[in-house]
Amino acid sequence: MSEIDWNRMNPVAMWRDWFVKSEAQWSEYVSSLLKNDQTGGAFGRQLGELQMMHRQFGEMAQAALAAANLPSRSDLEALDERLGRVEDGLAQVAAGLSRLRESLVALEAVKPTAPTRRRRAPARPAASGSKG
Amino acid sequence: MGDRNEAPVTAMPNPLQLALARMGLPTADFAGMTGALGVTPKETIHAQGTLKLHHFTPVVDDVYRVPVLIVTSLVNQPYILDLVPQQSMVGHLLAQGFDVYMIEWGRPRQAHKDLTLEDHVLDRLPACVARVLEHSGQKELSIIGYCVGGLLAVLWAALHAGPRCPLKNLVCMATPVDSDGLESLKAWMGPDFDEEALLARHGNVPGDWVQNALRALRPFGKAAGAMNLLNQMDKDEVVTSNLRMGKWETDNLPFPGGVFRQMVRDFLRGNRLVKGDWVVGGRRVDLGAIDVPFLHLLAQDDHITPYASSHPLLGLVGSRDKHELIIRGGHVGLVAGRGAQTRMWPALEAWLAPRSV
Repeated sequence: MSEIDWNRMNPVAMWRDWFVKSEAQWSEYVSSLLKNDQTGGAFGRQLGELQMMHRQFGEMAQAALAAANLPSRSDLEALDERLGRVEDGLAQVAAGLSRLRESLVALEAVKPTAPTRRRRAPARPAASGSKG
Repeated sequence: MGDRNEAPVTAMPNPLQLALARMGLPTADFAGMTGALGVTPKETIHAQGTLKLHHFTPVVDDVYRVPVLIVTSLVNQPYILDLVPQQSMVGHLLAQGFDVYMIEWGRPRQAHKDLTLEDHVLDRLPACVARVLEHSGQKELSIIGYCVGGLLAVLWAALHAGPRCPLKNLVCMATPVDSDGLESLKAWMGPDFDEEALLARHGNVPGDWVQNALRALRPFGKAAGAMNLLNQMDKDEVVTSNLRMGKWETDNLPFPGGVFRQMVRDFLRGNRLVKGDWVVGGRRVDLGAIDVPFLHLLAQDDHITPYASSHPLLGLVGSRDKHELIIRGGHVGLVAGRGAQTRMWPALEAWLAPRSV
């Protein structure tokens, strides 16, 4: 007698399976409802309101965080900006070191490590059709 | 009171980790289950602003003559193409003997909000191409573009086409070119969408806005993914793979403001690329000027770049040697899923190898 897969017999798991199999159709249906000009207009208007709320909340939060001597979003953004500049600078240094190494190889001061470029493609049977 | 010799509690027990332990999953660190991502050894050979051009260390002694430059999307992290050693398109190409370079556009900050398509296609991308040729010692290269990276690649190729163009082969993966096929995005960002207000507030479009817009294209997709994962919680490999993809999916990059403005007005609303009247840097983009061998890879179930938005590219390029391959799977599965490993990567290698000698 074959072993029973109790996990598959789990009604919750079966429901989840059904959800997964049906999701594509539901998403397709809801997407078809959403991809029209009325929806676009509604999204555009809501976006404006959302932006206004976001700005007001940001201003309130900034004041509250400053009062509590905690960093605000703009403080963190400023920190992100500084860290980003540091990262960009480090990348410039890395790129500069790469060029320096190439110069040293050209001067024969350092042994080259580049591979040869003589590789040939393996022989393959002629492909038919264009679908993969 | 407990034993005074007991070590003090330094952290609250994590209920999620306790649950994972009860299921017998080996690691105590949920975030650590993904491991490090994008770790194939590479060297940064060029940097410009936030852009980094990487050269991956070859793993064979003899490579194909023509180097490959991968142009990634502006709004997603590039490590989707190099997730982990056993799930890496970059790793596959290296193992097959290709000399691989990749552009990492980086995370734009407020200082970069005015970057435009011209900055990317007429300045940064050409600089990367020149650096690849200099570094490899070759006069020509192949370009592989993924998603918006593919769009940047075709814009560059069209604007630089001609006898002195160093492009030898062009591969586009899930690349949108026809905005009439992006019905949802076109409807949401139509005339009532005020992109200037958004950009005035944020500079660049925030990464989480980009993420929410992409998720809205498949409203129940996230929930279905969670259900599928719950049904397979006993499979360590499935959980780990899901966590890796999930980490990448939530790691969106901000959309540079200037590029976003042009994409909304000229690409989405105007559909200028297909109409043939898109002017970039004062020059009209003519996809018919692209005449190099061209491979077009699409995903059958791509809800982000639907077939209708991508397929027209095949007819628009002027190449005589051009092929389209449709692979089963979705937008991300095309490049990083199981289907990619068994179908797309071998097909890409079979097409590109004889054209890289």
